[in-house]
Order: sequence, then C-alpha cells, then structure tokens
Amino acid sequence: MLKIDHVYFSYTTQPPYILNDLCLTVSKGDYISIVGENGCGKSTLLHLLLGFLHPDSGTIQINAKSIRYVAQKTNFSQIGFPITVYEVLNAYRKLLKIKTNTIIENVLQQTDMLPFKNCLMDTLSGGQTQRIALARALIGEPDLVILDEPSTGVDLKNQKKIYTILKELNIKQQLTILSVEHNLDAAIKNSTQIYHFAHGAGHICSPQKYAQEFFHSTLKESAYVTI
Amino acid sequence: MLQYEFMQHALFVSICISLLCPCIGIFMVLRRCSMIGDTMSHASLAGITLGLLVHKNPIIGAFLFTSACGALIEFLRKYFPRHLDLILTIILSLSIGTAITLISSGRLHTNAEAFLFGSILTVNHTDMLCIFLLTILSIFILYSLYNSLLYMAYDEETARIAGVKVDLINYAFAVLMAAAVSISIKIVGVMVLSSMIALPVATALQLKKGFQKTLFYAVLFSFMNMQLGLWGSYYLKVAPGGFTSLMSVFLLLLILLLKKVVHTHFAGRSTLDFTRNPSYDKVNKANRQGGKSFVHNILACQHKTNQTTRNNFGYIKKECQAHDGS
Repeated sequence: MLKIDHVYFSYTTQPPYILNDLCLTVSKGDYISIVGENGCGKSTLLHLLLGFLHPDSGTIQINAKSIRYVAQKTNFSQIGFPITVYEVLNAYRKLLKIKTNTIIENVLQQTDMLPFKNCLMDTLSGGQTQRIALARALIGEPDLVILDEPSTGVDLKNQKKIYTILKELNIKQQLTILSVEHNLDAAIKNSTQIYHFAHGAGHICSPQKYAQEFFHSTLKESAYVTI
Repeated sequence: MLQYEFMQHALFVSICISLLCPCIGIFMVLRRCSMIGDTMSHASLAGITLGLLVHKNPIIGAFLFTSACGALIEFLRKYFPRHLDLILTIILSLSIGTAITLISSGRLHTNAEAFLFGSILTVNHTDMLCIFLLTILSIFILYSLYNSLLYMAYDEETARIAGVKVDLINYAFAVLMAAAVSISIKIVGVMVLSSMIALPVATALQLKKGFQKTLFYAVLFSFMNMQLGLWGSYYLKVAPGGFTSLMSVFLLLLILLLKKVVHTHFAGRSTLDFTRNPSYDKVNKANRQGGKSFVHNILACQHKTNQTTRNNFGYIKKECQAHDGS
C-alpha cells in the first residue's frame, strides 16, 4: 500500500538531512505507530507522505485510493466561529463528492459521537473534537488513515475511546493506520508494528520487541530526572 | 418616496449590497482578514479615478483595479507569510498614492470626492446593470465554491488533501471581494464600505448559531442596516454611507444588549438550544440531583486533585530517596 524507498530530505536541500536513507513498507491492514523524540522528523515524514513536501532523493509510492489525515490539533475549537458538527462533516462529504447523506450518521455512530450531531464545534472538549476529526477521516471509507499524535491534550478516558475505535477499525475493516505517537503505552498495546525513529533514520520492529528494547531504556532514563 | 427614479435605483442597489457583502464578509471574518475589506475599499478609490481618467464606467474601473490588488495581496502572502498587516500597508500605499496623484492632477472629468461618502443620486442605468451582473456572477461563484471556501478557512491542510485547489480559489476569492466592494461604492462610499462587509457578520455571530444560520442572519441584518440607512439618509438629508454605518453599529449594540438581558434573566431555562453540548446538561443534571451547588462540586474536585498530587509527590520523593541511598 505504501513504500518509502531510500528517502533523503532536508529543508535546505543540502546535508545534514532531517530524513536520512529512510525505508518503510506498509501493507494493507497494518497499524504502524511511528515513535521518536521531538524534532527527529516524524511530522516531516507525514508531510512528505501527504504531498506537502517532496523528497530530495528516493521515492514514495502510495497505492491507496483515498488517504485521510487527522492533524495533531484540529483547528475547529480554536477558531471561535459557530459551526455545528453536522456542518463540518457535511461540507467535507460534499468536498469529496459523496452523494449518500447517511454516511454522516454512520461515522458519528462509529466514533460514538451521534448525540453531538447538532452541537457547535467550540462547545466540544478536546477529546470530543478529536473524535469528530476521526469521524471526518472515516467519510468515504478510506484505505489509509494518517494520524499525528491523536491523543495530544486528551484525557485518559477519551484516549481509551479513541484507541478502541482505531483498533476496531483496524481489525474489523482492515483499515491501514499510520500514527505518529508519543503515547508509548498505546502504541505498544494497539499497533501491529512500531517504527522507531531517531536522528532522521528509523527501523521497524514488533511492539513486544520495542517494549523490551526501548521502553525499558526510556523508563530508566526518566527515573534519573530530579525534581 | 419610491416615485422618484433615483430612489428606485438606490433600493435595487441596496438589495444587491445586502445580499453579496455579508456572503463575502462571513468568509473574510472566518479567515480573520476582515481588514482586507478596508484595504480593498481604499483600492477601489484608485480604480474609480483610473476609470474616470480614461472616460469609462468608474464601477468597472474599481472592479478591475480592486481585483488586481486582491491578486497582489495573495501573491505577496508567499513573500511575507504571517505578515498580512504589512501586505495591507503596501497595498494601501499603492492605492491611496494612485488615487491622490490622479485627483490632484486635475485631469479627471468628474468629481471623485462624491465616491468617498456615497450618494443615492448618482446611480444610473449602466451602474445598475453592472451591479446586477456582478452580484449574480459573484453569488453563482460563491455557491459553487462554498464548501471549498469553508474548509480552506477552517482547516487548509484537510482541504488540500481533499483535492481543493487552495491557491487558485484564493485568487478567485480576491475577485469576489473586489466585486462586493465595487457594487457598494456608489451608495455606501469608500470611507465606510468595510462596515457593510464585517458588521452584519459580527452581529450575526452574537447569536451563536451554526454556520448556515449565521450566514442567513448576516444577510438579514445587512438588509435591515441598508434599508434603515437608505430611508434614514433620505429623510435626514445626510450621506447614506455614514448613516448606514451608524445603523450597523446600533444594531450590533442592540443585539449585544438583548443577549445580556436574555442571559441574565433566562439563563439555563431555554430548552430550544440544540447546539449546546449534551455533556454540560448531564453535569448540570447530576449537580441538581446531588443537591449540591456548582461551586461545591468544583471545590470537591479541587480537593481530590490536590490530594492525588500530594500522594504522587510523596511516592516520587520516596523513590528518589531510595535511589540516592543505593
């Protein structure tokens, strides 16, 4: 579905590269969490996948008919302009030229947000807003959903809901998910594979192996933080 | 009063203005660039003077020059990202400079100052035809770009991924803004033109309804402002632009006052507000059933949080001490 082949990228198109000889293959039904420290190039990789940026060398092949993106922080609640949940989703449906109107109820049902259909976006909490962003991403049955830190600024209860929805979609509908994560616990619990990213390069491993190798070393480092 | 032909013309133009200006204005307010309206109205003065210089219809001159300025604003955004205020200063300098140079040259065959404050006497048949065509064309384009404009304003990244040609539509929107400005200059005048674009939207925003309802109320308020301004200026024998602008501000203040009264006397009693988050209702209901006040619940919650924080710090302190000891 997606193949990144020896990709190099730098914002100045000169070394040092932010992404350095990057290789990744994503198959249908994969749930891959991309983990790594701040500034290691995770969001740059997402922007390359979405076509906002272009690699200096190497290729990115995407064989998905439709890709959706759930941004780190959705703008709806910050903009302070009255718009209802239904209007947000309906305008997106029309942008995608989908004629069936019932699709909005379906995606709201899937994300457990149907009671909020007529609510104004700026009355929703961070978790509810994120679930609406997820509902919007599900319009039109996409092949690949790319998420950028879906649990940022969301409380534990809503985080659990978001990851349950993602896991269900991945298992039942074979939805391919590529998610940048800082929530290591969720990444290990839900992903089929983890792509660990450091200094512009990365390697893929199983969640179990990642838990053994990296998670314990991260905990060890954080234990030395003095208060 | 409607037996006078000039009043019939003015009524027709005021209806066109109240239809188009809030439709453009809502997207400008949404994109937080309502000051572009002010810059565009000043650019239209340069267009008028250019039109008068070459003996053509000033509305066509204003439309062409304002469209060019709108396109220039979009072009300069790439060179000055996140500095819209600076771009607007550049465009203002260009347009006001052009207008003052041409007016002071003495080569214009008509008095351009009449366009500063607006006049109901100056609208002729050619102007009406131009205004009618621009309004119809603009509303048609706006209708076809409605969802794209909505998403570009809210979430540009998502719009781009959905295949919206963001850059092209930005240029098209600049032309639509130019059209809205051009149809309004004869009646409203250059000086207060931006109030026709922003104030009805600002008033409609106070009602806190959904996007489509806000748009509907903005058009309704714009119509009320225009009619009050037009008829008021006729009876008071003052310039329609200034009086319409005053009416817009009064209506906004009236809505703010009514909102305050409703909030003070009917708070929490309305069951008709479907746009409210149902979670709040659950919390309110739980508070009422518990027989405790909202403040009491907040304090209880604060106490619980403090206790958890103290426990956590105790645990961390113990761990640190154990670590230092080893």
